[in-house]
Amino acid sequence: MFNRRTLAIIKRELREKLFSKAFILMTLLVPIFLFAILGMQTFFISMGGDTKANIEIISETPQLTGALVKSFQEQNDVKTGNLKVSFSTGTKSEFDTRLNSLKKDILNDKLTGIVFIPDSALKDKKIEYYSKNPNNTSLFNRIKQPINKALIEVYFTGQNLSEAQISFARASVDFNGFRISADKEIHQEGIGNTIVAFLFTFLLYFSLILLGTMIMRSVVQEKNNRIVEVLLSSASSTELMVGKILGNSITGVVQMFIWLLPLMAIISTSWFILPEELTLSITMGNIVFVLFNYFIGLITFLGLFASVGSIFDNDQDAQSGVWPVTILIMVPFFISLSLNDNPGNTIAKIASMFPFASIIVMPARIAITDVPTIQIVISILVSIATMLAIFPIAGKIYRVGVLMTGKKPKWSEVVKWLKVK
Amino acid sequence: MNALEVLNLVKTFDGFKAVDDISFAVPEGSVFGLIGRNGAGKTTTIRMMMNIYIPDSGEVILRGTKIGQEFKDKVGYLPEERGLYKKMKVMETLLYFAELKGKTGREVEKRANEYLERFELADRKNSKLEDLSKGNQQKVQFITTILHNPEFIILDEPFSGLDPINTDLLREIIVELKSKGKIIIFSTHLMDFAEKMCDQIAMIEKGKVILHGSLKEIKTKYAQKNVSLNYEGNISFLKNNPLVESIEDFGNSTGIRVKDSAQIQQLLKLLVENNITVNKFSANDISLHEIFIEAAGGNNKTKTGKEA
Repeated sequence: MFNRRTLAIIKRELREKLFSKAFILMTLLVPIFLFAILGMQTFFISMGGDTKANIEIISETPQLTGALVKSFQEQNDVKTGNLKVSFSTGTKSEFDTRLNSLKKDILNDKLTGIVFIPDSALKDKKIEYYSKNPNNTSLFNRIKQPINKALIEVYFTGQNLSEAQISFARASVDFNGFRISADKEIHQEGIGNTIVAFLFTFLLYFSLILLGTMIMRSVVQEKNNRIVEVLLSSASSTELMVGKILGNSITGVVQMFIWLLPLMAIISTSWFILPEELTLSITMGNIVFVLFNYFIGLITFLGLFASVGSIFDNDQDAQSGVWPVTILIMVPFFISLSLNDNPGNTIAKIASMFPFASIIVMPARIAITDVPTIQIVISILVSIATMLAIFPIAGKIYRVGVLMTGKKPKWSEVVKWLKVK
Repeated sequence: MNALEVLNLVKTFDGFKAVDDISFAVPEGSVFGLIGRNGAGKTTTIRMMMNIYIPDSGEVILRGTKIGQEFKDKVGYLPEERGLYKKMKVMETLLYFAELKGKTGREVEKRANEYLERFELADRKNSKLEDLSKGNQQKVQFITTILHNPEFIILDEPFSGLDPINTDLLREIIVELKSKGKIIIFSTHLMDFAEKMCDQIAMIEKGKVILHGSLKEIKTKYAQKNVSLNYEGNISFLKNNPLVESIEDFGNSTGIRVKDSAQIQQLLKLLVENNITVNKFSANDISLHEIFIEAAGGNNKTKTGKEA
């Protein structure tokens, strides 16, 4: 299986993939793309909150109106002019007339909405909002705090409380996460680990899909150009497939190594001083695991992609026939993303030791929680077992498929190929 | 002594028997022609000989032992459907395919340069394959077939798509390789080439060998009672003549079969009497084309063709 022919094929694949412009380009572009996605997400979220709003607040309690004016003045978006608020005092019936006269303005978008704060709000904090779009969470988040602040202030005034007591009442709860790990030391948990988990998930997802599609296309092309027959007159189909997969897997691991270089520099040197909330709990050992795991994953998935390529003789058919393999990557990808909400969730735990999913979920879990060694070992064993199980199957499909041309085979026929001795 | 023996090969695709019990032997030092129509089963047979297809049954024996991987190193194979990596450079391509056959180093590079020179491609050795004309790409592929100095050269329809000059070049090289003791096996549906170049043939029709052996012997056997004629005039009077068994008109030449070999002189006399200008009258001669038509057509009537 592994001999000079395989070696010659690996060398050619490396020449074509590793030492190519496309490799340099992809190595640079994927991180840029990744940060672009991250950046865009943040951008859109902040964009959604920063839209200009023009509201009117009518309160039944004169004292409250004054407090509102004061607390809104301290708001940033009021200062920048993104949020315009006018205040007045009036009873419910006065409010109703006012609402009627302003209806037109609201429908014209001149006014975003009207807030009515009844006297009862000083007991139950229930207020009313009238608008074309009455469920504007992003606006509520912006005005909730100053209104609350004013209510608290008015409520406690005259109750003989100190400024400190009032400000305590005003403050909301602030979570500080601490990670409990096996080494008994308790570290303050920051956002850094979440970012690393996210990074692993995306890098694995993108590169498996990209490299997979690349090898699939190259198999389709070899089949289409009839090169494969010349190759098979020198090497066996197994040697050819092993050579191709190893060549591409090595390329992939080198690429991943380059991508992880900054991370390795951060955790192993003191060149970079990270703010406390970005502290990483990942170790060099973990990185070695990630690379090794990725190599196994590449062999497994590239084998699948190559065999899909061998079934079809043009890119379009291959592209539409590859979905079963894509699903095997997509599902673990989403499971892995779910770790951001709850790093301890059971599905992710199982997935990280489940065939195919282990490849994508385990690295993210390692970054975000403290995974017992035994689970890591199980994950590696499962991944290796999956690879060993999938390889002969992929090899058989490849062997028969690569010489089939003409009509697109049905899945039932592909299953038959597996029975060919 | 047979270098290669093909024994009872069978290959079925979806219930269709592409190759149905084919056997033949390729003697040492011969140029062997596998001839037959398109779709007769030639390529499938060759692929099984190359160990690319695994036969349903039967085997291929190389000097007494069943072929395996080591056979591939001894063979240069030119498939019917040509193809190389379009993005690779000419020299890179040549060295890569030689490396797959286990040949590396300066020696191979020197040979590659010699062949490129000979095929007038020396100035293109750093061009990408995709920048070469189709004819030149074919030349490069042919060089990859013989660069590693194989003992066996298997060419599947080598002349298809070649212009006359390159056809001659290829023929010249095949003759040269033969003189070096190489065994050349090629398939073709072009009877002319086969007739001019082969010592040995196997004729395949519908997945079966219908004729097999030395071309000379086959011709002698089929040539009896046969006349190959080039003429000017109208010979339609021969159609119902009692001397004549059949007439095959091939345009330039006509094959006439008489009922009895003793009547050949009478036939010539008859032609002269009827004012036919005889340009060539070759007694006991037959073209491979005629043999093919007779063997393929007569296969249903008689089983005489199969000698193996």
